[in-house]
Amino acid sequence: MSKTQSGILRLESANVLKVVMSDYFKRLKDAEETAGKKIAWCTSVGPAELLYSMGFEVYFPENHGAMLGASKKADKYIPSAVAEGYSPDICSYLTSDIGAFLQNETPLQRSGFEAVPKPDILVYNTNQCHEVADWFSFYARHFDVPILGIHTPLGLNELSDTIINGVAEQFKALVPELEKVSPRKFDMDAFKKSIELSRDACVRWREVLEKAMHRPSPINFFDAAIHMGPIVVMRGTTYALDYYNVLYDELDDRIAKGISSVPNEKYRLYWEGMPLWYQLSNMARLFASLDTCVVASTYCNSWVFDDLDPADPFYSSALAYSKLFIVRSEEVKKEMLQEHLKDYAIDGIIYHDSKTCPRNSNNRFGLQNRLYEETNIPFLEINGDLNDPRCFSEEQSLIAIETFIQQLAEKIYS
Amino acid sequence: MLKLGIDLGSSYTKGVLVNDENQIVDQFVVKTGFDFKRAASRIMTKFEEDYEIATPVYTCGYGRDQVDFEHISNSEIMALSKAVFTKFNKKCAVIDIGGQDTKFIKINQQGQVDKFKMNRKCAAGTGSFLEEIAFRLDISPLEFNTLTDEATEEVRINSYCTVFAISEIIGLIKKGATIANIAVGIYNSIIERCMEMVAADETIIITGGVPEKHPTIVRLFKKKFSKVESPENSQFFAAWGNILLNSQK
Repeated sequence: MSKTQSGILRLESANVLKVVMSDYFKRLKDAEETAGKKIAWCTSVGPAELLYSMGFEVYFPENHGAMLGASKKADKYIPSAVAEGYSPDICSYLTSDIGAFLQNETPLQRSGFEAVPKPDILVYNTNQCHEVADWFSFYARHFDVPILGIHTPLGLNELSDTIINGVAEQFKALVPELEKVSPRKFDMDAFKKSIELSRDACVRWREVLEKAMHRPSPINFFDAAIHMGPIVVMRGTTYALDYYNVLYDELDDRIAKGISSVPNEKYRLYWEGMPLWYQLSNMARLFASLDTCVVASTYCNSWVFDDLDPADPFYSSALAYSKLFIVRSEEVKKEMLQEHLKDYAIDGIIYHDSKTCPRNSNNRFGLQNRLYEETNIPFLEINGDLNDPRCFSEEQSLIAIETFIQQLAEKIYS
Repeated sequence: MLKLGIDLGSSYTKGVLVNDENQIVDQFVVKTGFDFKRAASRIMTKFEEDYEIATPVYTCGYGRDQVDFEHISNSEIMALSKAVFTKFNKKCAVIDIGGQDTKFIKINQQGQVDKFKMNRKCAAGTGSFLEEIAFRLDISPLEFNTLTDEATEEVRINSYCTVFAISEIIGLIKKGATIANIAVGIYNSIIERCMEMVAADETIIITGGVPEKHPTIVRLFKKKFSKVESPENSQFFAAWGNILLNSQK
């Protein structure tokens, strides 16, 4: 087993992940170069199953945005989007992705692409935010291709049949429009199969994350943020399920052998909000050096669509994609967080207030204080951004995080 | 042998020497400048002239690990909390206004940190805000203190951003506002940023280099809130608390 400098054990499955992701991009490249094959662009919690079932290869600009962040290049690209009239205050996935496009650069050039794969159609769901519609609209104008959207109501408390049926109708309404472009006509059995594969992969992904309930945890948030690639981009295919079976087995093996992700795990944290993509490895090292494992997160748990049901694919798609944390009311979010805090035996919570991602910053309407009053679990708010490093003070955050761990130590050991 | 605690802050480096009873025997402050090691050495050299100093030295602040001698480092927030609770021995909220950071700390009845916050990523509510405005107005930052004695009314500065605040001040000057009234507005702007972090009914202990050099801030705080205290020499509290934290272990 290989160790990083911080003593964090590298997951062996990362080698498999590399191949799985590389093959995914090869399929996209093949689709781009082969007549008759089609590429759909989709939002990260959009209707991937439907698209895969109709024969599209599916590309996810958010995945690309995260790649730009992780490669620490977002701030190189954002100014180009700003010059084009996109505010630096809106989603930095959007601004870095469009900026990179305008500069004709992409990390995919390392994988043989000249540019990001050209879309034949763009499909979004506003369940995560409305900015995705504007983001995709840029490319719809540029490539002059159709754009379709599902508009999900937000701030949902109860998931009433009226709401879910309304969303389900929007899913159904995509079909005839997609058929104008798709390689294959809609086939209910193929859709059901894709839904089943997606559901099974999501369940496996959830079980992977739940391995962190073990003390010490065999996996941490910073690993999970990398290993979530297949559940984001390959839901509805066998590839995602196959990969999470491999990762699951490795974590099982770690637990059996008493191997922890962070050496000497003393404190267990919950990460609320987006990752700081450009700080992922630094953060992993920092927490490990503080004997702290970030064992769970809202972000990674957001790709658990275990309500998908092949028996009722449209309704269950609408339900699963509306049940998502980001779609829910503050009250439901609080209950969901409470459950995670209990299940993962959390000592403290970190809220990342991401400057350009308000919908993934859940410390802006007092939720953090209400949750604290009910759980007495301390929390820390750090200011940063998912992709734009200019919004993050490393020194100040370092002091805050170190202090927070000392605060937890004082609380736990006093 | 005396124990040495050093708080290596972004603007100033503060050192205190304490005896076996953890009482402060001497203190010294230097500008941090661009070299933490040099600042810490200057503190050490100064004390070594008159005292015998034990090792390790206890450090905190931005430069806590940037020293050339054996040391144990701590979070300055934990250190400051320890010092405040040792001094006041009660549940309270601390507002520490430093050169680059403003910190809010909530201390419970047992002296533990319940919660803390730092200012967002800008100068608003910190000493840098004062320094920048003073520089643009071509006066010494400390002059704001004396100017407020001549104030006849409170002018409001709305802008968070230091640059925008300066533009706003220029606008106020054009409209005939006096520099004395503007000075009160500048202090109140800092106080308002601080109050975003604290509940109104709490006992507030104000510490740090800024309130020490600008007592007007404390006076204005007291006008707005009933339970406000600001101990003398509070800019040395984190350096002192550093030693107190480690004395427990």
